[in-house]
Amino acid sequence: MNDHSEPLHAPTDAESLVPRLVALLEDFTQDWDHELSGQMTRETRLLADLGFESIDIIQLVVAIEEEITHKKMPFDQLLLKDGRYVDDLSIGQIADFLARHL
Amino acid sequence: MSASQPPPQTLFIGLDGCTYTILDELIRERPGEGLVMPFLADLIGRGVRCKLRSTPNPLTPPAWTTIMTGKGPGSHGVFDFIRAEDKGGDVYWTLYDSRDVDSEMIWSIASRAGKKIAALNFPLTAPPPKDINGAIVPGFIPAKHLRRNSHPQGLFERIKQDVPGFDPKELAWDFDKEKQAMETLSDADMENWVRYHLPREEQWFKIAEYVLTQERPDLMAVMFDGTDKIQHQAWQFLDPRLAPAQPSELYRRVRGVCLDYFRNLDRYIERLVTAAGPQAQVYFASDHGFTATVEVLRINSYLEDLGYLKFAANDGSELARRREAADFANVDWSQTVAYCRTPSSNGIHIRVASNPGDVGIPKKDYQRFRDKLIEQLKALRNDQGEPVVVDVLKREDWFPGPHMKDACDLTLVLRDHGFVSIRNLKPAVVRRPNPIGTHHPDGIFIACGPGVKAGETLARRQIVDVAPTLLHSLGLPIPEDFEGAVAENFFEPDWLAQHPVRAGAPTRRRGEREQTQEMDAQEKQQIIEQLQMLGYME
Repeated sequence: MNDHSEPLHAPTDAESLVPRLVALLEDFTQDWDHELSGQMTRETRLLADLGFESIDIIQLVVAIEEEITHKKMPFDQLLLKDGRYVDDLSIGQIADFLARHL
Repeated sequence: MSASQPPPQTLFIGLDGCTYTILDELIRERPGEGLVMPFLADLIGRGVRCKLRSTPNPLTPPAWTTIMTGKGPGSHGVFDFIRAEDKGGDVYWTLYDSRDVDSEMIWSIASRAGKKIAALNFPLTAPPPKDINGAIVPGFIPAKHLRRNSHPQGLFERIKQDVPGFDPKELAWDFDKEKQAMETLSDADMENWVRYHLPREEQWFKIAEYVLTQERPDLMAVMFDGTDKIQHQAWQFLDPRLAPAQPSELYRRVRGVCLDYFRNLDRYIERLVTAAGPQAQVYFASDHGFTATVEVLRINSYLEDLGYLKFAANDGSELARRREAADFANVDWSQTVAYCRTPSSNGIHIRVASNPGDVGIPKKDYQRFRDKLIEQLKALRNDQGEPVVVDVLKREDWFPGPHMKDACDLTLVLRDHGFVSIRNLKPAVVRRPNPIGTHHPDGIFIACGPGVKAGETLARRQIVDVAPTLLHSLGLPIPEDFEGAVAENFFEPDWLAQHPVRAGAPTRRRGEREQTQEMDAQEKQQIIEQLQMLGYME
């Protein structure tokens, strides 16, 4: 697996996480057929813009934990809202969530 | 291959779900069909064979993890494909991955001992452990994620460049297709399902041949899983006992495709064994066997009849329809105290109220509730008055170890070894329109090569014996915390005298796990509560 970063040391602000998530997602999706033109940003959404399916989110969680946080994170708190799985997620939402929990 | 590189010591070919019931028909001459697997027939004749008893729930993830770790699910912690965390009001679902395997795999043990390994298409090997000396291309990973989950970095790109016709989409795991293994399919879909596995297996073979000849690992391991998938849907075309007196055109065609699959498999085995060379010991094992299931137990429906479960409301929306069709429990958590999470778990979780206001059985009533439920399960009868559930396994008896708390409270053994359904349908027990394949607890274990006895059929062994036998074949000591033993009866006495079994240091946990090895206060409290519920502690 590619390792994009050194382990994080808290406290970490969400804005510094955005470029690291972008770098990870660029590698993650490099051979996919998604239709995003231009740079990924804080607003880029996994399903709508990058063509994610639910199985891809599970894989992304593993990649984030392996390469960015270097530990398991309570992703259920991000993915489950009121007993239902969220419809989509932006890079910014993931960065905010990670910053809150690191 | 470089002349300076030593040949592999050990070739391990995993055959998911392989059973002698089918295999024995393929390694003997049959009228009109000939000998489908001549190479394997000869190899088995020159080696030893025995049945291999699987994990208590004979299922791919826990069973292959046991083969890879030498420990049972209570120790390694993998019980199913889907991992669920009960969050009180909600259940969070995700998939098990290699980080959930709480025991060292033989790939890491052999790497630490200076051996080079290759492990191809094994489940629970993604993300690949970082301490591997050799190659891993994981199984059960979608095509889009294979590159990042292959080890070492750059291996996937080399395979893509060097292996003619390599196509990850043809090779990799498809979540939606996988589900079809357990569904009732039309004749056309079933036939396509069988055909889909031929090119897929060819892809894995090409990678295996490439890695074996290029990398020359000491332990070369590859798993072929088309055996399991085809047997699930095409059992009636494979089991000669179910052959119709007047075969239809469909029967002839589908059986023909199935036999083509096994002819190909025989060719792959021949090429790999030949490439490994005459000095290699060759092993085959399956994670479980196979048989036919003739009826369906809709277990959550039965638990609803008993008043322990309420299904989630269905408002008729597309979302509700999709949720109900999914293979994980769709229940009203506020009114459910016992439920089955997934068909593959074949078990029941009992919810225990840990805090005031929680939904579940009060802790003090757990034993009584569970005993009553066992009686009610055993009392269930089908239309013919036959018992449907022939055994109910309590987790403390069958899944001892630090992960016992993650096992189903009760694991069911059905009379036909079928997997339960969790659909919201009545009646609770119904006959299947056609028998389909299901997992049998007895799989295969075969060995051949220098030092291995010739032409013997031996007594059944346990699935925990595979890992120590493979390590011994590599010349390595057996970790003292392994739960099985080397299959010493596979070997000639002279060879065994020259290669005595050696006990070694216990397995290691990965660095990440070492950090969490110390139980925190909450975990300790949970374990105490478990023991109290079971009556082991006051």
